[in-house]
Amino acid sequence: MSCVGSISLSDIISTVEFNQTGELLATGDKGGRVVIFQREPESKNEPNCQGEYNVYSTFQSHEPEFDYLKSLEIEEKINKIRWLPQQNAAHFLLSTNDKTIKLWKVSERDKRPEGYNLKDEEGRLKDLSTVTSLQVPVLKPMDLMVEVSPRRIFANAHTYHVNSISVNSDCETYMSADDLRINLWHLAITDRSFNIVDIKPANMEDLTEVITAAEFHPYHCNLFVYSSSKGTLRLCDMRASALCDKHSKLFEEPEDPSNRSFFSEIISSISDVKFSHSGRYLLTRDYLTVKVWDLNMENKPIETYQVHDYLRSKLCSLYENDCIFDKFECAWNGTDSVIMTGAYNNFFRMFDRNTKRDVTLEASRESSKPRAVLKPRRVCTGGKRRKDDISVDSLDFTKKILHTAWHPAENIIAIAATNNLYIFQDKVNSEVH
Amino acid sequence: MLSRGVKRKLEDDEEIMAAETSGAFDSSSSLPYPQQRQLVLNMCLSKLQSCHMKVEPSLHRSVLLANTLRQIQEEMRQEGGESTLAAIYDGSSCTYNGGNPPATPAHNPELHSLLLESPVYPNNSSVTDNTMSSSVSAILREAGFVEDVNPAPACLGCSDSEELCFSSSPSYENDGDEQPVDSRSSDSLFGSFEISNSTSYLTDLALDDIFEDIDTSMYDSSDFSTVMSFPVPRSPVSSSEDTMKSFPTCISPSSNGIQICITDLNDLDHIMEILVGS
Repeated sequence: MSCVGSISLSDIISTVEFNQTGELLATGDKGGRVVIFQREPESKNEPNCQGEYNVYSTFQSHEPEFDYLKSLEIEEKINKIRWLPQQNAAHFLLSTNDKTIKLWKVSERDKRPEGYNLKDEEGRLKDLSTVTSLQVPVLKPMDLMVEVSPRRIFANAHTYHVNSISVNSDCETYMSADDLRINLWHLAITDRSFNIVDIKPANMEDLTEVITAAEFHPYHCNLFVYSSSKGTLRLCDMRASALCDKHSKLFEEPEDPSNRSFFSEIISSISDVKFSHSGRYLLTRDYLTVKVWDLNMENKPIETYQVHDYLRSKLCSLYENDCIFDKFECAWNGTDSVIMTGAYNNFFRMFDRNTKRDVTLEASRESSKPRAVLKPRRVCTGGKRRKDDISVDSLDFTKKILHTAWHPAENIIAIAATNNLYIFQDKVNSEVH
Repeated sequence: MLSRGVKRKLEDDEEIMAAETSGAFDSSSSLPYPQQRQLVLNMCLSKLQSCHMKVEPSLHRSVLLANTLRQIQEEMRQEGGESTLAAIYDGSSCTYNGGNPPATPAHNPELHSLLLESPVYPNNSSVTDNTMSSSVSAILREAGFVEDVNPAPACLGCSDSEELCFSSSPSYENDGDEQPVDSRSSDSLFGSFEISNSTSYLTDLALDDIFEDIDTSMYDSSDFSTVMSFPVPRSPVSSSEDTMKSFPTCISPSSNGIQICITDLNDLDHIMEILVGS
């Protein structure tokens, strides 16, 4: 893996997402801005320059708001971005903060009409007496301009904080999930949404579980999954009933009694769930592990990978400094053979499901020099310490990689480390070493 | 505030102490289990009550904290006894922040079921166990679980009434049968519920605080006080029906289903006469 780019943004990055072809990469940040990167087309002259991502467009998606009823601010931080499958020349994406989802149209303009009859070049109306002949306006090339405009604003449907959005494979509907409810929207209709999951108890004091993430199946438009703070996954079928409070399948692993502690429940809370590209498997991330589940087996995951088990003995300190509540995301590669997730100290981890090998890499200034090859890192937990090992106590818990994304087809990954976006590419191997 | 992992620099004494204790927890051989549990309980409470935020606190975080708190409480309850309870109050006094006083029975709807079974308090621990759960519930409410409530004024109420709350708890612990009506402190907390909470006004369990200004000194005997604070519409349990039947004249269901005890029969008749217009 080598670095193909690193960009420093002005604010903490809060979400990263490739589009379906991988040509575009969108990031959202804490200040409500979205930055879209575009991959440079492969040039025959310099094969090494293939695939660099450059800034394509920047716009302000959400502004801070104030909820007057509760006297609380509504953060403009972008929680999630999801691209719509491309259907014409323009690109569409959904971006959401805690309360409002917006549909943005990203289009290019590289031609401009010239030669109007009634207006001059500056757009001022011509004096009609000077017009002696009619001309047909012609399209002339101009510098490429990327225009972004908000096409829909889906507001006022969520009492709680929106944590996920997911576009349905039917390309007409999408869902938005907050802590207690999931709503189904039609992309063209903003004044109505349908509530499909509601786990709010009649008495809020009985609340013990919240929704943490939700996603539609990649090709079964009636199926979706949502995860909870208690470590369960629920697969729901929208054909079964209008309100999908009853799950079709419940995925839950029984707790290991030997690992029980005060923090067992907190660390079992699932922070992210992703369907595999094949639609057969689910990937979940909880505080210490990533797990692969087979849709056909509900009682336990088929694979469990330890992300940073050395933290198990540090849970109280991590609880005290609130790090135990950090929500890490996870990602599949294009062929569902490798999974990736972030950790602390700007480390991220990749697990090869076939070879069962894993690697820890670091996204940092040193590793981000162009063409720099990433060196595997190791955290030493006592015992034999090798050179360049980092001890658990020296880990920097303020440097956390929460958001990562994997190109849908190639071995290109985008890693968000606080303000910095790193793009790494594995040109030589198709598998992770 | 994020500390720099477990590696600590010389900063606040408090931070060092807190970090050292959680560090001691992590090397689990150092701290005995009850102290570990106490430490976690303290941290839970302080986290739930740090509501000085301009942005709405995360419900996910609050739920996880509340569940941990309930789990510890349940464990402590199972171990049982006043000694455990003393440990709770003793250990949590510094972090309790006057968030919520252990609510008095008169204002505590959580005691509903318990009181119906035994109108006279049998012993301290069963009553105060429920007090603990009611405190947890009250903390959850404050943490923003109730959607219409503005947490900020409630917090101001917290810090203001810190002195009152803390001083009331030990006295309550000792006098099981009496009801120290700490109306000022609970008023400042629930007052915000009344003002800002319009849609759940009628169903809010704190509604009974509206009737605080009614002179209840006459009704200190347990019989009447148990029926004074019946909460909002619940399907009556058979035992409750029995209890209610024994006080037929005391209970007059209002249109919202909140039952108010008017013990002066003459006044009731008089009022009825006026209403009926005879």
